[in-house]
Amino acid sequence: MTKPVNLREIVLGILLEITEEEAYSHIVIRNVLEKYQYLDKRDRAFISRTAEGTLEHMIQLDYIIEQFSNVPVYNMKPLIRNLLRMSVYQLKYMDSVPDSAAVNEAVRLAQKKGFYNLKGFVNGVLRNTARRLSQVRYPDPAREPLHYLSVKYSFPIWMLNKWVTQFGYEVTERICRDSHMEKGTTVRCNLEKASVEEIILELEKQDIQVRQHPYLDYALIISHYNYIDAVSAFKKGWIQVQDISSMLVAEAAAPNWGDYCIDVCAAPGGKSLHISDKLMGSGYVEARDISERKVKRMQESIERTSAINIRAMVKDATVYDPESYQRADIVLADVPCSGLGVIGKKQDIKYKMSEKRQQDIIALQRKILDTVQNYVRPGGVLIYSTCTIGADENQYNIKWFLENYPFKLENLDPYLCPELHGKTTKGGYIQLLPGIHESDGFFIARLRRLFDE
Amino acid sequence: MALRKIRIMGDEILTKVCRPVDRMTPRTQTLIEDMLDTMYDANGVGLAAPQVGILKRIVVIDIGEGPLVMVNPEIIEREGEQTGQEGCLSLPGQAGVVTRPNYVKARAFDLQMQPFEVEGEGLLARAICHELDHLNGIMYVRFVEGELFDVSGEEEDEEEEIDEKEGNEA
Repeated sequence: MTKPVNLREIVLGILLEITEEEAYSHIVIRNVLEKYQYLDKRDRAFISRTAEGTLEHMIQLDYIIEQFSNVPVYNMKPLIRNLLRMSVYQLKYMDSVPDSAAVNEAVRLAQKKGFYNLKGFVNGVLRNTARRLSQVRYPDPAREPLHYLSVKYSFPIWMLNKWVTQFGYEVTERICRDSHMEKGTTVRCNLEKASVEEIILELEKQDIQVRQHPYLDYALIISHYNYIDAVSAFKKGWIQVQDISSMLVAEAAAPNWGDYCIDVCAAPGGKSLHISDKLMGSGYVEARDISERKVKRMQESIERTSAINIRAMVKDATVYDPESYQRADIVLADVPCSGLGVIGKKQDIKYKMSEKRQQDIIALQRKILDTVQNYVRPGGVLIYSTCTIGADENQYNIKWFLENYPFKLENLDPYLCPELHGKTTKGGYIQLLPGIHESDGFFIARLRRLFDE
Repeated sequence: MALRKIRIMGDEILTKVCRPVDRMTPRTQTLIEDMLDTMYDANGVGLAAPQVGILKRIVVIDIGEGPLVMVNPEIIEREGEQTGQEGCLSLPGQAGVVTRPNYVKARAFDLQMQPFEVEGEGLLARAICHELDHLNGIMYVRFVEGELFDVSGEEEDEEEEIDEKEGNEA
């Protein structure tokens, strides 16, 4: 008989790749599930839930492990530390897994992976954890407020520190809590193909829960479906999966009939397609991106929608393209960012980002802005956006930009629903915060190029 | 260490009923050693003598807890049920879902022809059932629920493209 597939071994492999080799969680998990698509639904669910859950709660799991181990987590062998993390996750968060199974399977796996001498260590730490989990003492919110948030929600201290300074303690806690919430999928109705009412009816026919999004009348939040590919409204091209924040970019851009628009970091293409929709077949959208593979995928989704006023092309946003000089009515610069606004969807972001990395990203963002502002015609519009939160990549970049280039911020209120109106929207930008707004964390600024420089 | 050739499904020998072993001979001992080597080499958890072309009632098993040699084995108790994936060294690259008892107790003789009993749960129970079937010319495919599926390429490490600059996919 051949060796059976060991689900925990697969999870361990996923975790090692993500935590020790810098791979992106959603890509690794997607690839693994694709490879093991013959496994039954329950086994696949075990793999994704254990891997995702372990990542989601990693700082807390490490804290618990260190209550029962005299070796600090960062001093352990990578394989052992990830094995302990996923096992403690099963002990704490998976009621369907008996404690004995979590412990015994971990010990067996340690041995199988060549750590015979650490069997006793793994066994000891996990047995103690199983027995005394409920007695673990967590940091006291009154005495160590940041440490408390860090362990409770698994966020790094440096990040919390910044947020508490900028948003206050209470908002920071809401942002953290929100990243652990189960959420529906936001979709954009393709109004060219069907009305919102028709789409809702079609979704409800498949027993999918549908809710109207408060910010845009053509946005819906759907839940209780298995695969998006099996949703008939999706198959018919009536809906497109896209977060509300990203839809607000096209709203803020507010293209006029016939406008020429360049989206300089377009993949996966949601915003470009949205603008192309809003142009109703007129004008032109150039969806540029640096990655050939992503551009190919974008071109495919463009072909699915059969839009004629949009094209995907490979172009690096940091390299000046003289042909585009002051030609665009609208430039979308949805720049690469630290992604702190989408941690709820990609849990590993919070561990991979660091202050040093953020500095590199800011340099890249400014390089892109410096390059692509050239493409905006006098009187044209530049929309700057990121899916991150915090002033460094948002307000400070805008401040720097306004000091160096002939642009001014423009009131966003005409393009946003009243719930989103506030001090800053009148000033020309908005910072959406998860847990405060019903949205990913996101930043949008609307800038107009002056006529006389 | 000697490796023997593993017979592949379609080979007549895998459909035949094996003969009991009367006594341990050096030849049989060598066979058992070779079977263990062959099983480990193929990264398996169990191997029956007919799979290397010998019609004797001998199986070797190792589910990761050390080798288990069973001569003239028979199952004397079965309990419970487990449904899961199973594959066979005589049908490489394929697997299927099979329901087996979750617990078995078996009686057999060891290398010195001393009788012993072994109890197995989960994977060990599955392996005992699977290997003992071979001694009666039965392949697991007979019990597969649904389709066989392709699992080849499982152990290869594929180097995947990960050039995505994420964080910007809202």
